[in-house]
Amino acid sequence: MDYTFTFLGLDIPIIPVAWMLAKIVVVFAGVMGLSAVLTWAERKGAALIQDRIGPNRAKFIGNFRLFGIFHLAGDGLKLIFKEDLVPGHVSRWLFWIAPLLAFIPAMMGFAIVPFGQSFEWRDFTFHLSVIDPENGMGMLYPLAIAALAVYGIFTASWASNNKFSMLSGMRGAAHMVSYEIGLSLAVIAVFMQAGHYDPHRIIEAQTGLWNVFAQPVGFLVFLVCAFAETNRLPFDFAEGESEIVAGFLTEFSGMKLGFLWLSEYIHLVTISALMATLYFGGWKIPFMPDPVGLLSNWLGPWIGPWLGVLLSIAAFAAKLLAFCWFFIWVRWTLPRFRYDQLMFIGWKVMLPIGFANLLFYAWLIHRAAA
Amino acid sequence: MSVVVKKVDLTWLDRTYLWPIAKGLTITLKHFLKQVFKPTPKRLTVQYPEMKRPVLDGYRGLHELKRNEDNSIKCVACFMCAEACPARCITIEAEEIGDINTQQGLLEKRPASFQIDALRCIFCGMCQEACPKDAIWLRKNYELSCRSRFEMQLDKYDLMNTYAGDDGRERVEHIERAAPKPERQPLSNQLG
Repeated sequence: MDYTFTFLGLDIPIIPVAWMLAKIVVVFAGVMGLSAVLTWAERKGAALIQDRIGPNRAKFIGNFRLFGIFHLAGDGLKLIFKEDLVPGHVSRWLFWIAPLLAFIPAMMGFAIVPFGQSFEWRDFTFHLSVIDPENGMGMLYPLAIAALAVYGIFTASWASNNKFSMLSGMRGAAHMVSYEIGLSLAVIAVFMQAGHYDPHRIIEAQTGLWNVFAQPVGFLVFLVCAFAETNRLPFDFAEGESEIVAGFLTEFSGMKLGFLWLSEYIHLVTISALMATLYFGGWKIPFMPDPVGLLSNWLGPWIGPWLGVLLSIAAFAAKLLAFCWFFIWVRWTLPRFRYDQLMFIGWKVMLPIGFANLLFYAWLIHRAAA
Repeated sequence: MSVVVKKVDLTWLDRTYLWPIAKGLTITLKHFLKQVFKPTPKRLTVQYPEMKRPVLDGYRGLHELKRNEDNSIKCVACFMCAEACPARCITIEAEEIGDINTQQGLLEKRPASFQIDALRCIFCGMCQEACPKDAIWLRKNYELSCRSRFEMQLDKYDLMNTYAGDDGRERVEHIERAAPKPERQPLSNQLG
C-alpha cells in the first residue's frame, strides 16, 4: 500500500515521514530526558558513594518524594527563572551562541545510533535509528560531531573574557583534540573487523562475540578517551573547579548555564550509546541473535515482532544506562590528573596502544585473508 | 629531626593504573551498596525536621519562668538575674503583692513585668545560676525561629508558658495581672 499526500507539488509518502518524525521526537526527547535524569543520578550517586543521603526534599503532590527525583524539576525551574546575567566585559554575540554551540552537536551525535532491531511492517522496513543505515556516513558521523564539541567549550571560554575561563578553554581544547586521536584509532580497529562503518553492520558483525571480548585493548583505549572526550573526571580539565573556579562555566548563569550543563550530560549519553554500539553489541541480547524473528516464531506474527523490538530496545537501554552509571561511578572514585599526566597518557600511552591495537588487528585480518 | 619518606616502589600492576582504579571502584561500590540498603534512621545524616538528636543534659535552651503549684509565679523580683546577665537582656519591674501566698510563705514582691530579649540573650545560664528561688530555668528548646524581631521580646506570661505544652501543664493567661499589659517597647527605648 502506498499512502502519499501532495504538499507544495511534492508527493510525500506518509508512513516513512511520520515514522521519521516520531523517531526524531522520541530520540531527542528521550536523550534530553535521560540527561536531565542523569543530573539527579549524579547527585544521588555521589551522595550514596560518600555515605550521604543526597537530594530527597522536593515534594510533588502531597508527600510524594520518590528519592528526590523532583529536584530535577526544581533545578530546571530555577535555572529558567533565574536572572540571565551577562557581564559587561564579555563578547556578547559569542556569549549568546556558546551554549548552543555546545548543545547542538551534543544532541546531533545520537542520531546515528540504532537503539533497537529493525522490523518490517506492510512492505516497509522500519529502522530504529534516526538516520537510516547505508547513508555513507556511518560511525564517522558521531566522531565528527563529537569533534565539534570543542567549539562549544572554546567559544564559551573565549566569549567570557576571563582569565580562568581562558585557561579552561585552552586546556579543554588541547586535551579533547589529543584524545580524539586515540578514540579514532580504537574505532578504526572495530571498523576493520566489521568490514564496514555503518552501525547496523557493526552490530550485526558482533553476533556471537561482542567486540569488548574480541578487542579488549581497543575497548580500554576507547573508554579512557571517552572520559576525556566527555570532559568527565578524571579528565575534567575544562571545568577544574578546584583550580580555575568553574572554567568555561564561570561567567554563565541561568538557562545558558543549564544548556552547558545539559550538553555535558548529553555527551555522556551519546558516548555511552557509542560504546554500547561499538563494543557491546548495541541492541543485541546475549544468546538471542534475532529477538524479532525468534519471538515471531514463538508468539505468532501479531505480538511477536513488537515484543522482540521492545526487548531489543530494552537491551540497548540497559547497556546505555549501565555505561552512564559507570561514568558517574568513576567520577566519584578518581581524583583529577595533573595536566602533564593527562598529556602523557594521551600522547605517550593511548596513542601508541591505539596504533599497536590497530596494527595487530590489521595483521590478524591480513593473515586470515591470506 | 628529619623524617625520611619511604618511597614506595610500584609494581608493574600498580603502574598500569587500571588495577588500582579497579580497587578504588570496588571501594566506592561497597560504600554505595551499603548506603543504599541502610534504612534512613541508621544513616549518619539526621533527617532534621522528622528526626532529632536527643538534646544533651546541661543544654541551655529557651528560658522558662517556673510557677508554684497554684500557677503563681515563683519569681520574687529580686533582680539577681538581671544583675548577673552579661548581655543585659532581662528587664524586671517589681510590684507588691496584696494578698498572702500561703504556698511559699509570706512573699512581698513579684515581678509586674519580666521581659527577656531573646535576640540579645546569649544563653549563658548565668540567670539560672544567680536565682535564689530556682525560678528561671534554661531548658532544651532550641527551635527559636519567628517571623519578626518583636516576637522574640518575651514577657512574663510568654516565659511562664514556654514549656507548658511539653510538661502537660495548662497555660497561664493574663488573668492575675492587675494592670493592663504594657505595650512592648523595643529594647533601645527601654535602655533609654
